Amino acid sequence: MKRYDLVIVGAGPSGLSAAIEAAGYGMKTVVYDENSRPGGQLFKQIHKFFGSKEHHAKIRGFRIGEELLQEASAAGVEVQLESTVTGIYEDKEVTVQRKGHIEHVKGDTIIVATGASENMVPFGGWDLPGVIGAGAAQTMMNLHGVKPGEKVLMLGSGNVGLVVSFQLMQAGCEVVALVDAAPAIGGYGVHAAKLARCGVPFYMSHTITKAEGTDHVTGVVISQVNEKFQKIPGTEKHFDADTICVAVGLSPMSQLLKMSGCTMSDDPKRGGQVPETDEYGETSVSGVYAAGDVSGIEEASSAMIEGRISGTRAAYEMGFVSEEDEIKELTKLKNDLLSLRRGMFAPGNKGKKIEKTEEGINVSQNLLTKGYLSEAEIFRYPGICRKKGLHPVIECSQNIPCNPCQDACKFSCINVGKDITSLPVVNPLAKCSGCGMCVASCSGQAIFLVDEDYDETGASVTLPYEFFPLPRVGDQGYARNRAGEIVCKAEVISVKSSPAYDRTNLLTIRVPKDMAMKARFYADRAETKAETAGGAV
Amino acid sequence: MNRTADVIIVGGGIIGNATAYYLAKKGRKVIVLEGSDNIGNGGSSRNGGGVRQSGRDPRELPMVMWGIQNLWPHLNEELDADVEYTQKGNLRLGKTPAHLKILQGLTDRATACGLDVKMIDAQEVKQINPYLSDEVIGASWCPTDGHANPMKTTLAYYRKARQLGACFITGEKVVGLQKNGGKLRRVITEQNTYEAEKVLVAAGYESRFITKTVGIDIPMIKQKMQCLVTEAEPKMFDQMLGTAEADFYGHQSHHGSFVFGGSSGQEGYELSKDGLISNSINVPCICRGILKYFPDLSKAKIVRSWTGWIDPCVDGIPVMSRVEEVPGLYLAAGFTGHGFGIGPAAGYHLAQLICDETPVTDMQAYRYDRFKAKI
Amino acid sequence: MNEVNDRSRDIGPFIPGPDDDMIICRCEEITRGEIRRAVHDGMFTITEIRRYLRCGMGLCQGQTCAKLVKSIVAGESGAAPGTLEPATSRAPMRPVEMQILADEM
Repeated sequence: MKRYDLVIVGAGPSGLSAAIEAAGYGMKTVVYDENSRPGGQLFKQIHKFFGSKEHHAKIRGFRIGEELLQEASAAGVEVQLESTVTGIYEDKEVTVQRKGHIEHVKGDTIIVATGASENMVPFGGWDLPGVIGAGAAQTMMNLHGVKPGEKVLMLGSGNVGLVVSFQLMQAGCEVVALVDAAPAIGGYGVHAAKLARCGVPFYMSHTITKAEGTDHVTGVVISQVNEKFQKIPGTEKHFDADTICVAVGLSPMSQLLKMSGCTMSDDPKRGGQVPETDEYGETSVSGVYAAGDVSGIEEASSAMIEGRISGTRAAYEMGFVSEEDEIKELTKLKNDLLSLRRGMFAPGNKGKKIEKTEEGINVSQNLLTKGYLSEAEIFRYPGICRKKGLHPVIECSQNIPCNPCQDACKFSCINVGKDITSLPVVNPLAKCSGCGMCVASCSGQAIFLVDEDYDETGASVTLPYEFFPLPRVGDQGYARNRAGEIVCKAEVISVKSSPAYDRTNLLTIRVPKDMAMKARFYADRAETKAETAGGAV
Repeated sequence: MNRTADVIIVGGGIIGNATAYYLAKKGRKVIVLEGSDNIGNGGSSRNGGGVRQSGRDPRELPMVMWGIQNLWPHLNEELDADVEYTQKGNLRLGKTPAHLKILQGLTDRATACGLDVKMIDAQEVKQINPYLSDEVIGASWCPTDGHANPMKTTLAYYRKARQLGACFITGEKVVGLQKNGGKLRRVITEQNTYEAEKVLVAAGYESRFITKTVGIDIPMIKQKMQCLVTEAEPKMFDQMLGTAEADFYGHQSHHGSFVFGGSSGQEGYELSKDGLISNSINVPCICRGILKYFPDLSKAKIVRSWTGWIDPCVDGIPVMSRVEEVPGLYLAAGFTGHGFGIGPAAGYHLAQLICDETPVTDMQAYRYDRFKAKI
Repeated sequence: MNEVNDRSRDIGPFIPGPDDDMIICRCEEITRGEIRRAVHDGMFTITEIRRYLRCGMGLCQGQTCAKLVKSIVAGESGAAPGTLEPATSRAPMRPVEMQILADEM
């Protein structure tokens, strides 16, 4: 039977990362993936990633995928696409459906990196066409260039729900509401703020009562829920919508691991059925590893590191790397992983209510329930300062492992410090050149350049802008505040695009002086349909 | 929890469940102890669903024929469930003259017992099932055979027995039996002790380990069989199928999916009998077997496969017997892979035996003490 | 596993619910009401529910409904969701045509 040193199932971020490490140490490695292109979910990810340089921070997901593929090819990894692993049997034998045959191969080691599938939540009409997973929406938009619908209601306020809602708007869809039964937004506040300032209403402590329509979705009714997640009668609201996007979490696709005989456990914090593993991802079956979402739902950055850890460990176990080098490499990788698993959104904090930041500042309740920092709360945070002349305003209020803004400024105006989860601090003494690199580097689009002394009566606000068509200098429109409300007229005074910004455009608008700390988005029209969509039923 | 009953049944498969139902119907207080977490976890829900008389050992024919005449046709009403019983005949297919010789022998022995079964030629086979390939040159045909849904049948007996007050306990692995004052009295599990005057052991191959504790054994082995199921397909045929070469068996279910079973020929020689029980060669082997007979199914998709154990008894028929030397002990095991179709009748007979009634057909052939050395 | 599970224990009567018509297993079109009723028929495990109703036995093999079925069974039987063992993983992991399975390399 054909034998490899290492068989990897899944060519997503963790599988490819594992392959790069293992092949780099000289292991004969094959990666099987059922899809026609590699990269797993990475090629759907058009947003910039969080983290530090080591974690590919501020790089868009699909570019990370391209880098991984180049690395894998340089390392001599054999990637077999449209190749479905249909089973794992005794003696680490796998069967692969490929090119109209079933192939039998054995691996001295196996790394299962099959990722996760989307959860569903049933409600009346959940089986109507038009109810889709958020991942499916991403596939349609970002891989195939197809708009999933015109008017979309998003269920789920985790990062997937928030990021995909923004991408839906980028694709030209209208997001009529973002709904979640939880009382607080689950994903990063900065992602929520991007939606809120565009006018997307958040309905926390709400759930979908029913999807309307006979052969496809034509509307949605939502209701408020109490602490026990029971619907409160009389609180129904109706929205016209043709699409309901469901982003209510992921489940590890761990069936292959279970079939291989691994000891499994039910761990709601890790998303469901996961294998019991050691710190290197090795399961109870010697030589069978699990890496990435299949061993517990996190995100692509940690999946990549987990893959590298398992790949390195497998190489060591099979005698392809010395103990000394293995320890050195694994120590570095484990530190990278630890730094990602810190902060308010760390896996260990799942389900916990956090009242204060690491700095001891009260967490914004407005951000957690409405998606934006209120004007009363904003000045608590160390990234917000008011001073003469041009300066950055960093509306970053949650401890997230992320620091590209610090590296972006050549004049040391922004400081995150040693602790990657600390809130960025703006140095009031440093000079701002207005280069805009910090604005473009912030994956959460939470940095603005403000000049309250732009002219006699006006202030300038520079904001990140990722929509088409791009406004032009001289356009007269309106400014929206953090809540998405139209607060004043605004004139576009500068539009900057640069390869260094990586497709984040910098739009500068002129607003009345008293709006400098309020205006946070630009609209060419005075209202959108979203604001008028929600109605009582 | 009450741990005393008139009858304790060890094993929650079709035999245990059917016996529990017929005993409960007679007003007996029954406790069923099942070692696994699921009712019907063994061959009872893993078999191919055949409800056949043809192809059986003549010693089994009286009981199975009685069941097909008297129980199966009314089982839906009896159990208030749809067990998907379909009595549209059984084709046992042959592709070579050697196959036809095997089939002829089976047919001759069955007709001698009064079963309506006959040999038919390729043309007659095609009239019954036009989807069969030209490789088929003949078959045995038994029009009163058929198939049913094994999972639904096993669980329907469970449901109905439970409604009649039979007590079922899963996850209760029996480790031994104990006599008291010369009679069987106690059933010892890993965690508890149960008591009854009569105990039926119907725990498949594992029965050996249980009855051994009172000095009784049944000469049987444990052998793997694998089954597979397709996605739902348009209705093609409704007979039960088997072959002279035993390369596959199966039927199309009411749901539309095809359920097929078979073996690879390597059974019995595996290194380990525990742990991962499915292997990678069985399903491809069964598929190759089927496609020679049904080329039209080449694009049907297999959605699932599973493995089960059969418990071949040394002489090919089960033990269903009172054990006089251990008063109170009854056995029902060693069904040799034919336990489903005969299951309802077996349960009916066993309930009669346990209640000291005269069974509707003679059970002498199934005695536990029939086994003798060959010379 | 192998926890002692007395199938005679009282789980209360079956009370019809407003969502009983809602389809839970889309592949096999099994409703919430059918699943709830099956629990009252004595099907206390995920494996028994599958064998009794076919839910999770269709093309997706329960990928979509497994968690939903589990929470319904847990709610109805009073078992903690974590104690309900998921169904056995069975090859093939994706539906495969018989002609492909028959053609080994």
